[in-house]
Amino acid sequence: MPTLKIDGREVTVDPGTTILQAAEVLGIEVPTFCYHPGLSIAANCRMCLVDSNKSPKPVPACHAQVMDGMEVQTASERIKRTRKAVLEFILLNHPVDCPICDQAGECVLQDHYFKFSAQPSRLFHRKQHKSKAKVLGPDIILDAERCILCTRCVRFCDEVAKESQLDVVNRGEHSEISTFPGKQLDNPYAGNTVDICPVGALTSRDFRFKTRVWMLQTERGVCPECSRNCAIRVDTFENVVRRYKPAHNPKVNQYWMCDEGRGSYKNYLEGRMEGPTLVEHGRRLATSTQRAMDEVSRALSGGARNVAVVLTPWLTNEDAFVVGKLLAGPLAGASIYLGGRGPGTEDAVLRQADKNPNRRGVETILGALGLSAKPVSQFTARAVETLVVLGDQHTVGDTTMSELAAVPQRVVIGAFKNAWWDMATVFLPGRVHWEKDGTTTNFQGVVQRARRAVTAAPTAKSEGWYAMKIAQALGAALDFATPKDIFGALTREVGAFAGLTWEGLGDHGQRLGDGLVPGGVGNGDTQGMVAR
Amino acid sequence: MSFGEVLLWGLLKFAAIVLGFVMVVATLLTLLERKQSAYLQNRVGPNRAFLFGKKFPLSAFIGQILADAVKMLVKEDFDPPRANTWLHRLAPALPLFAALMVWMVIPFGPGPKPGTEGEHWFQIANLDVGILWVLAISSIGVYGATLGAWASNSAFSLLGGLRTAAQMISYEVTIGLNMVGLFMIFGSLKLNDIVWGQGELLWGWLPKWGIVVQPLGFVLFVAAAVAEIKRAPFDLPEDESVLAGGYSTEYSAMRFALFALGEFIGIVIMSALASVLFLGGWQIPWVATPLLADGSIDYGWLTVMQVGAMVIKTMFMVFLLQQIRWTFPRFRYDQLMRLGWVYMLPLSIANLAITALVMFLLR
Amino acid sequence: MATVQVKRRELSFGERIYLPEVLRGLKVTTRQLFKNMFTKKDIATVQYPEVRKEYPDRFRGRHRLMKREDGSVRCVACMLCSTACPAKCIHIVAGDKGDQSVEKYPVSFEIDLLVCIYCGFCEEACPCDAIRMDSGRHPLPSFTRDRQRIRKIQLLEDGGPSIAVQGGKGT
Repeated sequence: MPTLKIDGREVTVDPGTTILQAAEVLGIEVPTFCYHPGLSIAANCRMCLVDSNKSPKPVPACHAQVMDGMEVQTASERIKRTRKAVLEFILLNHPVDCPICDQAGECVLQDHYFKFSAQPSRLFHRKQHKSKAKVLGPDIILDAERCILCTRCVRFCDEVAKESQLDVVNRGEHSEISTFPGKQLDNPYAGNTVDICPVGALTSRDFRFKTRVWMLQTERGVCPECSRNCAIRVDTFENVVRRYKPAHNPKVNQYWMCDEGRGSYKNYLEGRMEGPTLVEHGRRLATSTQRAMDEVSRALSGGARNVAVVLTPWLTNEDAFVVGKLLAGPLAGASIYLGGRGPGTEDAVLRQADKNPNRRGVETILGALGLSAKPVSQFTARAVETLVVLGDQHTVGDTTMSELAAVPQRVVIGAFKNAWWDMATVFLPGRVHWEKDGTTTNFQGVVQRARRAVTAAPTAKSEGWYAMKIAQALGAALDFATPKDIFGALTREVGAFAGLTWEGLGDHGQRLGDGLVPGGVGNGDTQGMVAR
Repeated sequence: MSFGEVLLWGLLKFAAIVLGFVMVVATLLTLLERKQSAYLQNRVGPNRAFLFGKKFPLSAFIGQILADAVKMLVKEDFDPPRANTWLHRLAPALPLFAALMVWMVIPFGPGPKPGTEGEHWFQIANLDVGILWVLAISSIGVYGATLGAWASNSAFSLLGGLRTAAQMISYEVTIGLNMVGLFMIFGSLKLNDIVWGQGELLWGWLPKWGIVVQPLGFVLFVAAAVAEIKRAPFDLPEDESVLAGGYSTEYSAMRFALFALGEFIGIVIMSALASVLFLGGWQIPWVATPLLADGSIDYGWLTVMQVGAMVIKTMFMVFLLQQIRWTFPRFRYDQLMRLGWVYMLPLSIANLAITALVMFLLR
Repeated sequence: MATVQVKRRELSFGERIYLPEVLRGLKVTTRQLFKNMFTKKDIATVQYPEVRKEYPDRFRGRHRLMKREDGSVRCVACMLCSTACPAKCIHIVAGDKGDQSVEKYPVSFEIDLLVCIYCGFCEEACPCDAIRMDSGRHPLPSFTRDRQRIRKIQLLEDGGPSIAVQGGKGT
């Protein structure tokens, strides 16, 4: 176990650790461009050079491994000068068009320049010009002038996406990133190259010029597009979601997310239905939540025998628990079906075939409450008087759809104008995932918190809220104030969740059963919204 | 004279005084006040409403007055929500009514010498109670502001109304007490008699005006008069920086104009009273009123000049009150109350006591 | 000692009984009244529509957008002005011009003059000399709020050409 000193502070680390990692243990910042914890080490940007007593010249901290008795200086005068020189080199041909660069505000080069250099250019030649706004792929655009040739994107495609589509072409100051001839940067994880690009060279065509990043509000969420539940940042501006960015979660998605999930936020922006409606005397009219709820309670008070409920694996654990309590209590005996989206593409990196976020959580909770759900494709309208459909993300066949529509009273808790809205006799506006605070369980059993990023319309409520109100109207004592309260009850009543705590979920979540292992609670890692 | 004749003459005189003098002065005041304040603050004031083009600059005066009148008439007449509409509409009429009724007893020219019979051509009614009528009627005026304030259903108005009531009560005492000194000296409540009394000369050369025999009384009277007509520095009831507009906050258009008109007439009343009580009324100093052999007045050119003297004295007082209003900053409310009760009231009583003592010694 | 004790001047007897001071005040105002009635020397009023005061050079009037030599708008929609704006009255929608040298341009550029506080931070923040407040124009009244949201086309009406280059050279 080598013991070394960094800036006079002693640290003992495993053999094979790099100086950079050892410095991280001590909380000492070493600036980097090309280093990314999720990728191989290239050590080509030279930003992380540090002095050590084992070498006459500065060594790249990201690459150099520690030695016993090493004494490292990360902020000596020589290193400060070195960093200045490195930055001057990198910025030599950089266009410094920050005002129109989408990266400005989250640009590593900008940050490092102001922190370590902050000197004006001494270049008196004209700058080298390279290709601008070059389309690399369906969502990626390259500005080669801004590129600092750190090759993070090249390594990402090689190592993570496993599709070599990028390389550096030409030599010297003419070097630039390019796709191989005839190829496009179109792998399903290509969007990550934009995230890892430390400068504004690779930008997203989707987000290009839309919003300046410093105007965005960020909240940590969970991508609902498949049962992987990648940890994401939901970036909003003026209460509208502008983009997803992957967040670091070593248990789920490392640093990455797929392009499918990245672009999915657009599906939830248009066509929101935010007001309750009621069909009266054959006409569909807007109504108040109170009236709609009265109507639902009246329809359900006749006994659970004639009630069918279609659940969705899009419920959060909390909503599923409250709905489960309703179905196990006042509505015991109702026939339960589970809907959701049909299967989709799958690969070995992140994407899962099950395109619903919380199937495992919902099934676990229902099971623990003694309920079982049949697939919605087995639905029959026979003897069903009241149908309650939770959520509107269901893929069903035409026959099932007509079966569902054959029920005389159809209560739908949905969010969008679609077939489910069309068929509702009572429509209750629900919330989409980024309007809910709650937890989801991915296919591996990792429970993660998704925080509310957008303030919903006051009429839009979660399925759990509606279930709670219906249960109260039917005379059951079901009363929770916050998702945290529900999660507390959930961990007490559902064995699989035992031992988990709301606070303990942190940013990286907990695995089901983690709470039962002594010392396994909490991972101590609550920071790191952004991982570069 | 029969009752009918008395009534007819009374009405005619009332119309002549109100339409020929009071309303004219009050209307002019709406403009003159602004002009006066403008000039003394190095401004120009309203100068745009030319009636006949810029060649006749003075036509802007008339134009401005007409424009103001038209504006007041056509602006939106507004009742605040949940206000007591009936009282809210009635209230502005009260101060105006009171202000006009006071003119009943103001003498504009010589009436019969005290102790003789004769017609009062320049006074609507020479009441025996005289000055008490003024005090009684002008107290009604305060109801207008207070009622209007209460009926407006507004906190600003209500506070303004309360302040009006409190201020009026405080300063009416001073006004009344300062008049008492004059009654003692001139021995009558009738204003005509008081003016006659002021025609005499003290020691053969000094006119025996109220201001001469009651100098402190005059100062206190003027100060209390300013407070009584709610003008700066005693304009706490409409304290615009604190109470928006005080009791008239919720008034607009002609009803607001009625309040304003009542206020302007109030200025003229107080000026006329001051000149009648303290400045010799229609008396021209050192000029005796010519009498016929039977003791009745010999009406002639001199009478016209005497009426003129009354008007000039009144206008001077109007000017002085305006000048005071635009010169001094507003008191704080506690200062106002302290001034009224702690300084001015004891001073008035002391003044009265000294007057009584002097009269007793000179008897 | 955060409090400063200010010693008040003792008022003399004459000042305390008000009257001499009241007369002194009346003297000042009356003198001024008659002076201004007959001469125009002290009058500060400017007869506005006919007489207009020269504005100082740094007067901040209605905004304008400057143009390049080819007549296109200089603004590159970097949104630094809307970021700097303390009143949040500048709304820009950026677009891709498809031109390699310019790339970004404002598809729409709106300033809500009713919200604007005329602080001049926007022209201070502008890296391109695109927005200026030197038009010398007042915000004009209007019958609708919408008319006070001035668009790119109105902002460009006043806009002259600017040949400023990065680094503060040119005008």
